[in-house]
Amino acid sequence: MFSKMQWGLMAGVLALSLGAGVALAAMSADDAIKARKACMKIGHGGVMGVAVPIMKGEKPFDAAALKVAFAAEDAACKDYASLWGVDTQKGDKETTHAKAEIWSDPKGFEAAGGDWYKADQAVRAATDEASFKVAFPALGKSCQSCHEKFRAPLQ
Amino acid sequence: MKRILQALGALALLGLGVVWVITTPVALTSAVLPDHVADLENGKLLFNAGGCISCHAPGPDVKDVAADVPAGGKPLKTPIGILYPPNLTPDPQSGLGNWKLQAFLAAMQQGLHPDGNHLIPAFPYGSYRSMTFGDVADVFAYLNSFPAVKNQVPAHEVIGLPIVRRGLTFWKWLALSQPVWKPDAAQSDSWNRGAYLVNGPGHCQECHTPRTLFMTLDTSRAFMGGPHPEGKGKVPSLHGLVERARYKDAADLVSAFQNGEVLGYEHMSGGGMGEVQGNLSKLPEADVKAIAEYVLSLK
Repeated sequence: MFSKMQWGLMAGVLALSLGAGVALAAMSADDAIKARKACMKIGHGGVMGVAVPIMKGEKPFDAAALKVAFAAEDAACKDYASLWGVDTQKGDKETTHAKAEIWSDPKGFEAAGGDWYKADQAVRAATDEASFKVAFPALGKSCQSCHEKFRAPLQ
Repeated sequence: MKRILQALGALALLGLGVVWVITTPVALTSAVLPDHVADLENGKLLFNAGGCISCHAPGPDVKDVAADVPAGGKPLKTPIGILYPPNLTPDPQSGLGNWKLQAFLAAMQQGLHPDGNHLIPAFPYGSYRSMTFGDVADVFAYLNSFPAVKNQVPAHEVIGLPIVRRGLTFWKWLALSQPVWKPDAAQSDSWNRGAYLVNGPGHCQECHTPRTLFMTLDTSRAFMGGPHPEGKGKVPSLHGLVERARYKDAADLVSAFQNGEVLGYEHMSGGGMGEVQGNLSKLPEADVKAIAEYVLSLK
């Protein structure tokens, strides 16, 4: 019924939910940075990992796999907005690509988050390959426009 | 004692005089330009390869002008201050409407403004020197095909701007004596095409190559990554992109240039590269492939 990958993702969701619960109890700046990295890598990265091969035509549209990936994203990105305290600006042990503009332009940062949310919801609403392929580019664009302003270049 | 002071004063004045003379931009003699039939399509291609719009975009006060019209004025934050890139549309007063091709060529390849000033090299004429005459002429023709937008951009907010411009004389001595890009007969046509686009119009080295103490490109470390032009952070190296597992192969890099983060290529955005990627995605596929071939040959 479930593929190996789906089981893996579900295990990941569970582990992250537990992790998030523990993390909320005492969130240091480093923990907050770790948590938002997990949201980026496991949450958003997981969605991209399923979605991009569909967009490239390498894999068929797979509603079940997408559903699992989005559930993992929800878990990994829970309380995301609360992970950007001023104390996280310069990372202590955890290095971060977060740019100072996040804190100097909080409204712009929030708006970028809003754009992502709308695009993400639209992709979730897609029911078949055609509607998915129409909705997805806006989601990718929302990653790009936020990274352009608020993330330093990756090396 | 008084004599010595007078002599020193005279010497200082003489020194200043010499500096004044040598930092005065030399107006171009009216060289005869080759005959050229403008190719607007090629001009547009080079406009995109150069990403002209990314700096010359309409500023926040410009109303009713499409975002892809280079009306200028979008503030550009740099370590020396805020620059307001000029209006490139053919408006006679505030744009290039009264410019002759020769003046445009002097700006693009010698960093000279018709008003006799040195241009600030945020405008990357060091790289544009490697462009062919025909390509520069086609860009000029393409710029003239835009609707004329009346937009007088604000003056640059740079402390001591006239002195900075004079000081550029010395920088230009160094920077403009560096060799221009030349094709390599041992390489394929597509490699050479990619190398031309990257080193000439694309001006990729301006950010991806570190600089010397004198702020010229350190060509001995070409494409090894440089300081970010906005003053903070680092622009990555372009060497070994496959070996460092940034991209699988040339086809993957082509897809990255064409789609960027829309298909999850996260190295294609952050700090301005997304903007560059958007411009490059408008190039013909053969040129994108040529760029990928050249970039991946940087081991």
